[in-house]
Amino acid sequence: MTTVERVGAAGAVPAEQVRRRGVPRRRSLAGYAFVSGYTVLLMAFGVLPTLYAIDLAFTNASGQFVGLGQFTKVVRDFRFGPSFMHILLYLAMWLVLVVVLTVVVAVILRSRVSARTSGVFRFLFYIPGALAGVASVLVWLFMLDPAVSPVSWLLRALGFSTFAQVLAPQNLPAIFVLIAFWTGAGGWIVVMYGALNNISDEVMEAARVDGASPWKTAWYIQIPMIRKWIVYMAILAFAAGTQLFVEPQLLQTASLGRVDPTWSPNQLAYVFAFQHGDFNGAAAISIFLLTLGLMCAGILVTRSGLFKVEEQ
Amino acid sequence: MSALSSSSDRLARRAAMRSRSSRLASGLVVVLFLAVLLIFFVLPAIWLLLAPTKTAGQLVSQFPLSFGSFANLGRAWSHLASFQGGVLFLWLRNSVVYSAGSLVLTLATSVPAGYALALTRFRGRKLLLSVTLIVMIMPNASLVLPIFLELNRFGLIGTIWSVILPFSFYPFGVYLVYIYFATSMPRDILSAARIDGANEWQVFRRIALPLARPVIGLVAFFSFVGNWNNFFLPYLVLPSSNEFPIQVGLNQLLSSTPSFNPVAGAGLDITSPELALAIVIAILPVLVMFLFSQRALVSGMLAGSTKE
Amino acid sequence: MTGRFPGTSNSYPPKIQDTKGPMMSRSPSARSRPRSVLKLAAATIGAALALTACASTSTKTTSAQSDFKQAAQDTSSAITVWADSTRLPSVQAYQKAHPDVKMNIVTYDGSADGSTYLQTKVQLFDRTNKGWPDVVFGSPTDVTWASEPTSPSAQAYAAPLDQGLVPQTTLSNFAKGSLTPCQFNGHTYCLRNDIAQVVLWYNKALMDKWGYQVPTTWQEYQALGQKVAKEHPGYLVGAVGDTNSQESYFWSSQCPAQELTGNTTLRVNLSSPNCTRMASLLDSLISAKSVSTQGFFSQGFTKSYGSKVLMAYGPSWYGQYLFNAAFKTPAGQIAAAPPLKWDGESSTYTGNVGGGVWMVSSHSKNLSAATALTEWLTTSDANLKSAPTYPAYVPGAKTWLDNPANKDYFAAPISDAFQQAANDVWTGWGNTKFSDATAWSSVVLPALSAGKTLTSTLPAWQSAIVNEAKSVGYTVTTQ
Repeated sequence: MTTVERVGAAGAVPAEQVRRRGVPRRRSLAGYAFVSGYTVLLMAFGVLPTLYAIDLAFTNASGQFVGLGQFTKVVRDFRFGPSFMHILLYLAMWLVLVVVLTVVVAVILRSRVSARTSGVFRFLFYIPGALAGVASVLVWLFMLDPAVSPVSWLLRALGFSTFAQVLAPQNLPAIFVLIAFWTGAGGWIVVMYGALNNISDEVMEAARVDGASPWKTAWYIQIPMIRKWIVYMAILAFAAGTQLFVEPQLLQTASLGRVDPTWSPNQLAYVFAFQHGDFNGAAAISIFLLTLGLMCAGILVTRSGLFKVEEQ
Repeated sequence: MSALSSSSDRLARRAAMRSRSSRLASGLVVVLFLAVLLIFFVLPAIWLLLAPTKTAGQLVSQFPLSFGSFANLGRAWSHLASFQGGVLFLWLRNSVVYSAGSLVLTLATSVPAGYALALTRFRGRKLLLSVTLIVMIMPNASLVLPIFLELNRFGLIGTIWSVILPFSFYPFGVYLVYIYFATSMPRDILSAARIDGANEWQVFRRIALPLARPVIGLVAFFSFVGNWNNFFLPYLVLPSSNEFPIQVGLNQLLSSTPSFNPVAGAGLDITSPELALAIVIAILPVLVMFLFSQRALVSGMLAGSTKE
Repeated sequence: MTGRFPGTSNSYPPKIQDTKGPMMSRSPSARSRPRSVLKLAAATIGAALALTACASTSTKTTSAQSDFKQAAQDTSSAITVWADSTRLPSVQAYQKAHPDVKMNIVTYDGSADGSTYLQTKVQLFDRTNKGWPDVVFGSPTDVTWASEPTSPSAQAYAAPLDQGLVPQTTLSNFAKGSLTPCQFNGHTYCLRNDIAQVVLWYNKALMDKWGYQVPTTWQEYQALGQKVAKEHPGYLVGAVGDTNSQESYFWSSQCPAQELTGNTTLRVNLSSPNCTRMASLLDSLISAKSVSTQGFFSQGFTKSYGSKVLMAYGPSWYGQYLFNAAFKTPAGQIAAAPPLKWDGESSTYTGNVGGGVWMVSSHSKNLSAATALTEWLTTSDANLKSAPTYPAYVPGAKTWLDNPANKDYFAAPISDAFQQAANDVWTGWGNTKFSDATAWSSVVLPALSAGKTLTSTLPAWQSAIVNEAKSVGYTVTTQ
């Protein structure tokens, strides 16, 4: 859900035309009053946790400063490398799939299908978004079990006759990609469609007059014109993908332990905190993940030009 | 001449035919592609809706997309309702409390904040907006563990506030409201009101707020759905089964189901159909909202950037 | 039995108060560009890099205390009970028989299959200082952490039951060695629910029909497995795909997969002949297809093989639980034989699969009600007579064996096999702080599903165990 939600914001570019000077003091005070509640929440659940995690990551359980000790400790942990490898593999597959497929689908829905049909399709693709989280994992547990799946013939054709075979370690990234795509792609298709819709009719008309085929129009005109959005989607999908937790955690429960309990970095942090009671180590791992997220956010906000915080 | 023209005619005809056949082929590809995708997106949902009408045995033996019977559905329901003394209803109630409670706080904080960021000037505005943007784009799961550590530091673990307060921090909502006011608020009205002697609060309350109804609905929808489906945070901060929201409850149900945990689950009435029914019940509120607010959803995701 | 000390943990300042909050006074600087936030972060990390570590990342935890501080007792307060769904009916029966006891019953996964649900939740309860279940059903693994404080400021979750809660006479009536997983630092932290001694289950009706002799040694077992593969393809003499199959086979083979040589030292040596002999025996039967790499409890097993299980080497609870409840094998077919012996060895050893425990919370406000329930569950004839598994409490086990309902299902008396096996459990398979299910099911089982042999997977299994052991603080030798 989060990826979907966040998308929306990007499009708008506020065209503010406000007097820059001469803001009465009274209004400036009112401004503070209006943002006060939110600022408290932002400090409490955005800024403070980050700083506290940093503090924990550089200290030990007795509060003594340990430099990078916690970081070297978690990096050397035997589960650290595999969990980041898993997530990288997952991200690579997920990014390729989500970028290629959503763009292709959006192009098709925009230029090859009537507006009415396209609306129906977009809605149907979006519906699984309502099942984000636990529900989607549970649904796919059934979908991937050859014993109950409606597409068990397909699973068998792929050489899987038992649930255990489906859950082989090398299949897990693909399984998580399937689940993520099922719940998330619909939202991205809507966004890409919206971006395509923004390309002016004149441009499309000119391309048609020049005799460009729909595929050529898509490749040479439409896709380059929504490039910014594609990059935006890729970065957000990447950032969200690094945080994988619910899916492997539930699959671990449901697979009778056949899935590594520390498959993803977030799970490893969870194990550090809740099994070992090592909050400092957990904080160190979450700093790695926070930094990744922060970098993505920083790049988007400063480089993409999709967000405006200043008046024009 | 005539030979030439006829040959060029033939060429043109052949080209036209080729293009027609290629268009046909590409049309076919498009139809096939959409059909496969449609099946991929819709089939699991249909299966899910049908599953509770069958028994665990029928789920395996019958055609996957067949309808069982309403009697089975009723049986699954009564098994589910009696699980651990009806804890399912408690979980649903908890979900409502957490989602609705944080929704109220989200609206109370994000609407004024978005308004002020868009329409008033104060020192630190740009910083606040930048930080908001960054936190908004950062995946929210990346903050869950730090938030847990912080809540633990202040002894809030296991209270309803440990869920409601973090849930109500919703930078995306602030940004939506900010964009809305910044782009579609006629400033002249505000100025006119100020000249008429209205104070800042009155301007906000009487003029801005009524105009912001659409965006408030949007923020409410996204916040509610996001919080309803959230698993990670409540999973970490709520230790006791009686405090679980439905999403975390589903996890407990899953681990008690013999289908997925045979060693622990024998002798329990909770099997696959009951689990499927629980999933349907858990997503029902969100699904209904999806169905009825489709238009708002789409426009919200594009935040006014499209021509639709 | 000594006076109650407040505990050495007090000398350690609680962890929570130690984290000073310089960051709390630090207000966000008035920088306006987000990029400067990144710069700030980079600078912070850079500065940290320049500093050398000046303290260790781990602080010493206090040694486990044997004494515990009771909470203020209120004999009328409600007790919260966590049980797995198998034990749920027993708890409900107690509630019915004792309507005056206020009980709040919660179903959870019972720590099966290496689940850490209970452990993670107790970690949290220790931090919130409330919410602990008064009575909980768990696995022996749980006692390893529950008998120690989870943090310097916490009190060990499990109450030492030998300290005035359960009479010594009761404790001494438990089967020999069955309380060993409960005992730490000379105290008993749990009562054993059941013993899960491994025996040889077989379908007597089929064996008789085909004229097969029940094997008494592993060599005979292997030979019969080969024979079955040829004469009755599709029938099984075992399965290794469950999360606990290693306890049936490798434990019985005295394989030093996790041998505790001290409190914190562990011997892991899967290249020992005791391990390789079992691996190659199973490999030969797996390739002959008379041992399945699926689990008895995996989804779909009942459907495809339920009626084709000729033999199963597994715990005492397989009889009722697997054959009767899951496979629905008709009564009068299944029987149990004593554990198998290796040719040339003088004595027989067997494994143990599970065997749950009940713990009482040291934080309980109603210790008497909690203890009464725990005793009723583990020692009373009323409960044990029809318990789903073989009781660890000796008088209860007799009652259980005498109950016709527990015998009628079988084709031949099971008492001898059960009683012999209960005495043959090998003690070299340590009750470690980590569950042996994790490495087995996340490393070995996927490899088997992918068609690898057990023998070739032993090194990977070993390194998984070693890694896990080290991560929870064991010193490991692989000799």
